Amino acid sequence: MGTKAHPDPQGLLIDELKLGSSSAYKEAVREYSPGMLAVARFYMDHSSAEEVVQDCWVTVIDAIHKFEGRSGLKTWLHRIVANRCKNKLRSSNREVATDFSESLDPELADRFNATGRWDLPPKLKFHESADTLMENDALSGCLDKHLSALPETQRSALMLYEAHQHKSEDVCNILDISASNLRVLLHRARQKIFLMVETFQETGKC
Amino acid sequence: MLMCRDLADIASDYIDGELTSRQNLSVKMHLMMCKHCRTFIGNLRASTEMMKAHSSGRPNEEFMRRIDERVAEALKTWEPEDGDKN
Ligand SMILES: [Zn+2]
Repeated sequence: MGTKAHPDPQGLLIDELKLGSSSAYKEAVREYSPGMLAVARFYMDHSSAEEVVQDCWVTVIDAIHKFEGRSGLKTWLHRIVANRCKNKLRSSNREVATDFSESLDPELADRFNATGRWDLPPKLKFHESADTLMENDALSGCLDKHLSALPETQRSALMLYEAHQHKSEDVCNILDISASNLRVLLHRARQKIFLMVETFQETGKC
Repeated sequence: MLMCRDLADIASDYIDGELTSRQNLSVKMHLMMCKHCRTFIGNLRASTEMMKAHSSGRPNEEFMRRIDERVAEALKTWEPEDGDKN
């Protein structure tokens, strides 16, 4: 690789964190905490997850000088959270229970006949695009409600993959699941959202 | 023959480009003939996009502020690795 033409903004932030700059920490906390929380939520309930993320930031202060930048700051932070969660679970003897057996949502599976054709096909094309969603408060609120009702494992996988744009390998690594299990989690979560938007569009109800 | 149910089963893999080229081809063939599955794939893709737009970047300020406080507290007693000790 040649010399860098532009300074790397993440590299700058990391340098400032290593120097203990409180404004750099504020910036990093805002940038990375939502993703860290998504990781922790895979393992535990909301308030314990928030606590873990807070504790992790304190750990980061002492550990950041060891960060070498091979994995990217986001992935590094997410691994710290995952390890802390796993240790906590180990000490309290709790296990993450997840069902990876079926990739088709039962409600959707019911909509096919015995020959595997649609019995109850999707009726409408969704007219909401991702861009107009933000202007539709009712739909946005409904999405919130359904996202929080998703099983933790599905939601975390979804958040890390879609919202925080991790590569599959990273998500598997952080959450300690196989690639095929991640595929199941993602697909199950998307079907739930599909069913929700469909109901919302047909009935106007959440 | 790929049936609608089979297609629904692997729809996310299709959207994310995770299918083998043979599977991909049979999905494409099915979609050419089946309007319902075309709608389904379109809607599942739209759901995915909505999710992405909805869940990115809406941090809870109260939570962030509590972290800021913890960090500020910890930084008070923190010393850089090669820093001077007094
Ligand atoms: Zn079909």
